[in-house]
Amino acid sequence: MTDTTAVLGYAWPLVVSPGEEVAFHLSSAILESAEATLLRVRCADPDPDGPGLRFHQPGTPIDGPVPLRNQPLRPGSCALVPDAPALGRAGSLSLGLFFYPTAPGAGAQTILSRWREDTREGWRLALTEEARLELTIGAAGCVWSVTAPRPVMEREWIFVAAGLDASAGRITVTQESLDPQAGRDTGCTATAEGPRDPAWPADTALVIAAHALESGAAPRTGGHLDGKIDRPRLLSVAPDAARLRTLAENLTPHPADPDLIAAWDFSRDMSTDTVRDLSANRLDGALRQMPMRAATGANWDGRTVQWTEAPELYGAIHFHSDDMHDAGWTPDLRLTVPGDWRSGFYALRLRARQGQEDPVESFVAFFVRAPLGRPRSELAFVASTATFLAYANSALRLDQVHAESMLEGLIALSRDDVYLQEHRELGLSTYDTHSDGSGWCYSTAKRPILNMRPRGATFNYGNDTHIIDWFEQIGQDYDIIVDDDIHRHGAQTLAPYRCVITGSHPEYFSRSMIEAFDSYQRSGGRHIYLGGNGFYWRIGWHPTQPHTMEIRRGAIGLRTWEGEPGENALSFTGEPSGLWRASGRPPQRLVGVGFDAQVFTRSYPYAWREPARDPRVAWAMEGIDLDAPLGDFGLRGGGAAGLEVDRVEPTLSSPPHLLWLATADRLDYGGVPTLEELRTLHRGTMGDQNARVRADIAFFPTARGGAVFSTGSIAWACALSHNGYENSVSRLTGNILRRFLDPAPFEGFDT
Amino acid sequence: MLLNDPGAAHWPVDPARRDLVEEFRRKPRGPHSDELQKLLHRMRWSGVGQRHVLIVLEPNRRWMLGRLPGRRGAPVETFPNRVFTSLADAEWAVFVMRWEALTGQRIEETGDKPE
Repeated sequence: MTDTTAVLGYAWPLVVSPGEEVAFHLSSAILESAEATLLRVRCADPDPDGPGLRFHQPGTPIDGPVPLRNQPLRPGSCALVPDAPALGRAGSLSLGLFFYPTAPGAGAQTILSRWREDTREGWRLALTEEARLELTIGAAGCVWSVTAPRPVMEREWIFVAAGLDASAGRITVTQESLDPQAGRDTGCTATAEGPRDPAWPADTALVIAAHALESGAAPRTGGHLDGKIDRPRLLSVAPDAARLRTLAENLTPHPADPDLIAAWDFSRDMSTDTVRDLSANRLDGALRQMPMRAATGANWDGRTVQWTEAPELYGAIHFHSDDMHDAGWTPDLRLTVPGDWRSGFYALRLRARQGQEDPVESFVAFFVRAPLGRPRSELAFVASTATFLAYANSALRLDQVHAESMLEGLIALSRDDVYLQEHRELGLSTYDTHSDGSGWCYSTAKRPILNMRPRGATFNYGNDTHIIDWFEQIGQDYDIIVDDDIHRHGAQTLAPYRCVITGSHPEYFSRSMIEAFDSYQRSGGRHIYLGGNGFYWRIGWHPTQPHTMEIRRGAIGLRTWEGEPGENALSFTGEPSGLWRASGRPPQRLVGVGFDAQVFTRSYPYAWREPARDPRVAWAMEGIDLDAPLGDFGLRGGGAAGLEVDRVEPTLSSPPHLLWLATADRLDYGGVPTLEELRTLHRGTMGDQNARVRADIAFFPTARGGAVFSTGSIAWACALSHNGYENSVSRLTGNILRRFLDPAPFEGFDT
Repeated sequence: MLLNDPGAAHWPVDPARRDLVEEFRRKPRGPHSDELQKLLHRMRWSGVGQRHVLIVLEPNRRWMLGRLPGRRGAPVETFPNRVFTSLADAEWAVFVMRWEALTGQRIEETGDKPE
């Protein structure tokens, strides 16, 4: 059994141009060294029934032994405010904030602190293991604490006031429920002896949602919180719950209030990692590990669901104890990509213990792009990096009740999956929930991604390499372009190519990406979509941080978690998220077909329809028997139509002059329609009874000689190599590609 | 929050329905009759106890039985002496355990091999 996790790493940047440097950040807890080899990936799927792992080895200066070290991952988000004179003010101190705990009782968690755990000095407001609020003060070797008599309630807003009366030597903590009825009132207060005029520690950062383990402006942190914090306030007076509550309710506290140390407003600078202080002290902070912004505050009342319309209702940040967006590892290898390299899917292979029972073979993936405006081929294949990120380190099959039922059989875990079960510090995918049950809405590439590399899970990355393998087999040259660049540079990224192919599952699209494809297709571009469930979710990319995407799943669509009310607009852009279908751009309008169902029992062949005999598309059918099933073979379920499938749907804007060439509309009981397909509740919706559960193949010309061809099935790509690449799926794909690379316009269609 | 309830699958399993056992034994990978589909949903939704899974030893060739711990961060339990060379054999082996857990009845591992 090959060990794929003894060494892990990530490449940064994830996407490079020839001539640019890529750095490999590696870590191993057990190996002292490994043998590194840089490879261009032809096929990343190890299935011995298919092409198998296939690579090209260009030879690079970094090929050879690489010493390894252990670089830990430190999950958990927080905000850090470096030490400042205003924070060290002597005398009384009080704090107030709105608080929404999401995992009370899951362990001790710090809410707000200026505390050094190594010396146990400073002050800290926390939740105890028993879910009770506790204020702790440490000074001169002594520790005082006061604990609320009642636990907080999960997912209920409370107002918290706490602090020290330094002249009386008393500490107090108070909680007030915002909905104190129907069993939800946890209001209480507690007072205990505290120090008189303690000396606060020097050089200690103020931390929101965690505490510092050490001194300094960027300390390691612990005690990470699961929950939302809204409008934290800090005063240099003895605690007065009523005054603190008024101050927190006030969205614009007077900055010159002489007692005001800090008043953070998390609704400012929403798309950044900065948290703003409204006080005259300007104690701005920086977020670490990307907690969820644009979260509803305690004052959110449903008058809007878009934070951009009333940001003052979105003054909360949802912190998670398992947020992980930047591993922060030191690089071990650097490579300047030679200027003459082909674009492609590339990977650094790391091997150790060869010839032993448990050999190590682990990959770190990256992409070499064709630089903007410098195409080397008439054909571009899109690396669906947005989708790869959305699925990065998916633990769906480990955590979610429905997984085995959905997949219609025993869950088969790879070595990577077994590792991920134990090592949640890698950070999960946007299909997963955090340990507090809330959805992961951000994903980044600054961490090892186990399922975006050779040998990894075959979905997405592995399936897409079957298309690359097919290009290599038929001698077709191609450029690789990536989602990140299509977002950033728009239609210019696509424009140089006669034909662009999107892969098995190009599911996640920003508005800029959708508009780029729309523009390309209207400008004479030819688009071949060889997948299923494409162009489905609406995402955002971080405005400044590369390879960082966001999704809010909302309340419709095939969603593994449901977005919270009011929290379904993107913090990165302010745009709505959710399905493109709900934003006026159903996939059918762009590519003729759109997601309608899953089928995991098995995959099916298509049957040709009458339009396949239309003489205007005779070029597509050369050498194909239109009386025989199309694709009754393949590596995914024994057919070309399966897993996730799309259909032609005129009511969702499939083009009027589209030719609906073939259909797989007998998907039996395993064909399960997607949620947004059901208006009303009734039986008879599965594929054995429902003709709208199907995969369709469609062709239509677009303006200025452009065209679109879509297969509507994830399983398609994994049927290309059947029978030594001699098969009807390969032949049809080849016929389409040849014609799409021919500039002659498509005759006989209305324009 | 919208959650999936592991206790939601409540189709009543009738220990007398050995015909469903025999149907599954003949065709572990389906297609299955309506009632066998319901039985399998009952078994698969919760996993019946802690969920049995397969661990891939060789892609598409060899699998080892495993069991999820039901808790994040805990290791997957492995059963190195239970290795399968076909998915149908593995499905049958787990079915036998789940049938016994649901009905208290042991299934003798005789008769036709799975297809």
